[in-house]
Amino acid sequence: MNHPEAEPTDSLSPGLCTPVGSRRNFFQRMIGIASGLIGLGLAIPLIGYVISPMLKRREQSWVEVGSVAELAVGEPKQLDHVTIIRDGWMETKSHKAVWAVKQADGQVVVFSPICTHLGCGYRWEGEEQKFKCPCHGSVYDVAGKVLDGPAPRRLDVLPSKTENGRLLVMYKEFKSGQTVPIEL
Amino acid sequence: MASRIYAWLDSRLKLKSVERTLLDEPIPGGASWIYVFGSATLFLFLLQAVTGMFLAIYYAPTPDHAYDSIRFIETEVLFGAFVRGLHHWGASGMVVVIGLHMLQVFLYGAYKPPRELLWMVGVVLFLIVLSFAFTGYLLPWDQNAYWATQVGINMVGTVPVVGDLLAPVLRGGEMLGALTLSRFFAVHVLFLPALLATLVMVHLFILRRVGPAGPWRGGSERRKSGETASQREGPGGSGFVERRVRESETFYPRQVFMDAVVMLGIFAVVAVLALTVHFPLADKANPSDTTFVPVPEWYFLFYYQLLKYVHGPLEPVATWILPALFFLGLLFWPFLDRNPVRHLAARPVALVAGAVFLVIVFGLLGISLRDLYAVPRIDPAVARGKTVFAQFGCAGCHRVHGEGGAVGPDLSYVGDTRPEREWHLRHFRDPQSVSPGSFMPKFPLTDRQLNDLAGYMLSLKRTP
Repeated sequence: MNHPEAEPTDSLSPGLCTPVGSRRNFFQRMIGIASGLIGLGLAIPLIGYVISPMLKRREQSWVEVGSVAELAVGEPKQLDHVTIIRDGWMETKSHKAVWAVKQADGQVVVFSPICTHLGCGYRWEGEEQKFKCPCHGSVYDVAGKVLDGPAPRRLDVLPSKTENGRLLVMYKEFKSGQTVPIEL
Repeated sequence: MASRIYAWLDSRLKLKSVERTLLDEPIPGGASWIYVFGSATLFLFLLQAVTGMFLAIYYAPTPDHAYDSIRFIETEVLFGAFVRGLHHWGASGMVVVIGLHMLQVFLYGAYKPPRELLWMVGVVLFLIVLSFAFTGYLLPWDQNAYWATQVGINMVGTVPVVGDLLAPVLRGGEMLGALTLSRFFAVHVLFLPALLATLVMVHLFILRRVGPAGPWRGGSERRKSGETASQREGPGGSGFVERRVRESETFYPRQVFMDAVVMLGIFAVVAVLALTVHFPLADKANPSDTTFVPVPEWYFLFYYQLLKYVHGPLEPVATWILPALFFLGLLFWPFLDRNPVRHLAARPVALVAGAVFLVIVFGLLGISLRDLYAVPRIDPAVARGKTVFAQFGCAGCHRVHGEGGAVGPDLSYVGDTRPEREWHLRHFRDPQSVSPGSFMPKFPLTDRQLNDLAGYMLSLKRTP
C-alpha cells in the first residue's frame, strides 16, 4: 500500500491508513455524485409513477337518462345516470341519480344530486315544493336557489341537452363548501 | 446548518463514535475493486425493495385482477414499464452479482476459519434470493407464471414423504389458484423481505466481528517474514487469531468510493435494460390450456436442461437429491474443505471442484439457450403476412394475443386449430365457402398477399 497521500493519522489505530487532504475530498465528492445520480435516476420516475393517475383527466361523456316527455313541468324527478367508467385496471358501472326539472318552455334543468354544503344527498319534498338536505338542514327552491340553512351556493347545474326527445346529461362533481361551483 | 444539526444530535446520541465504527472499518491490504460485490448485492437488494414497494401500489394479488393490474402498470402508468423493468432486470442482476460475490469469496478462500459462519449465512441468503425469484415469477399471472409455478411445485412434490405435504402447503390446497397467488404474494413482499433483511444484518454483524479476509497472504510476504502459511492461517493454539495485517486502510472513503462507482454502473446497466429490452407479458394464465410450454428465467435454465436428461427411476435424483446435496455441500463447504491455506496455488482440489461445477452449469445453460433461441429461420412471408393483416384491419375483428377485437374468432393459435394452408387460401377468397354463416367479408387480395397472409396464420402456434 503506497498511496502518496495516504498516511496513518494519529486518531486511527496503528497500521491503519486513510487518504487525507485533496485526495480525500475527491473521493467524498465522487461518492456524493454517484449517490446523487442514483437518487435522481430513481426519484424522478418514481414520483411520476405515483402521481400518474392524477395526471389523467376524467373521461366525461353524454349519458342518456330518460325521455323528456315523461317529465312534468315544475315537478322534479330523480333519473338514473349509469355509465361504464374505467377504474384503474377495472371497468365498473357507475350509478348516479340526477334531479331533472322541466321548465314551462320545455327546457330541462338538471341538478347535481349533491348538496353544495358538505356533500350529502338531498330530497324533493313535494308538499312544500322544496329541496331539503337531511344532514344540516339546507333548503333550496325548485330553481335550486338557497332558501335556508348553511348551503353556501345554489344547487349545481349539470350540462344537459335534448336529442330526439331523449335527455342527455354529463355528470360532474363540484367542490363542496365553496360560494362558487369549482369543478373537481 | 447541517453540521450544526449533526453537532446537536451528536452531543446527545454520541454519533461520532458510531460514525467511526462504521466508516473506519479496517480493510486489510487496502481498498480494492475486487471487494465491491457484497455492497453491489446489498445495493441491488435495496433497489428491488424500492421498486417492489412501488409496484405494489398498483398490483392486485388476485387471479381476476393480477394480470390486468400488471398490464395497467405496463401501458397506463407513467414510467410503469420502467419501474417494472428495473425490478425484472434487478432480479437478474442480483443473481449475477451474488454469483460473482460467491466466486470471489471462494477464490480468496474467505470462507475458511474463522469465517465459516459468514459463508453459511451467505448461502442461506442465496437460498432466500432464489425463493424471491420463485415466488415473484407467479405474480404477473400470465401463462408463463402459471405453468412454470405448476412445474416448480410439482418438483417439490417428488420429494419423498415431505413432498406430498409440502406441495399442497405451497399451493394452499390441491389446485393452483387464488390461494396460491395470495400466499406467494405475501411471502414475496412480507415474509421473505423480513427474513432477508434480518439475515443481511447477521451477515454484516459477523463480517464486522471476524473482519474481511483481505488478500492472500503468502508469496513475497511469507518469504519476507519467513513464516509458513499454516502458521499464519491455521487453527493454532491461540484459536483463530490472525496476525494483524501490517497495512490496512479505512473502509471510508476509498472502498466506499469504489462501491459507489460500481453501484452507479449497475444502476445504469439495469436502467438501460429496463428502457430498451422489453419483456412482454404472455397471455393471461389459462389453466385449461395444457399445451403451453413454460420457460424458466435464465438462471434456472441450466437446471431445466438437466431435467431433460434424467428420466424414469432416476428422475428424483435430478428433481431433489442433486439440489439437496448441492445446497448441503455448499452450506457445509467450510467444513468439507479442510485445507487451511487460502492461497489459490495451494488449493488444487477446491479449484478443480469449482471449475468443474462452473463448466457443468454454464455448459447446460449454453445448451439450453441454444435450444431455445435456435429459432427456425423465419419465413419472410410470415412478416409480410403480418403487414397484410395490419393493412386490411383484420385486428378490428380478430384478436391475436390480446390485441384486437372480439367480433371474429381469436387467432392467437389458429396455426394449431387450422393447420392446412389450402383451407386458409379458400377461406380468404370466399369465407362462406368453408365457413358457412360467417359474416367475414371478402377482401381484394392478390395471390401473393393471400399466400403471405396464410403463412402468417400458420405461424400462429403455441410452440414455434
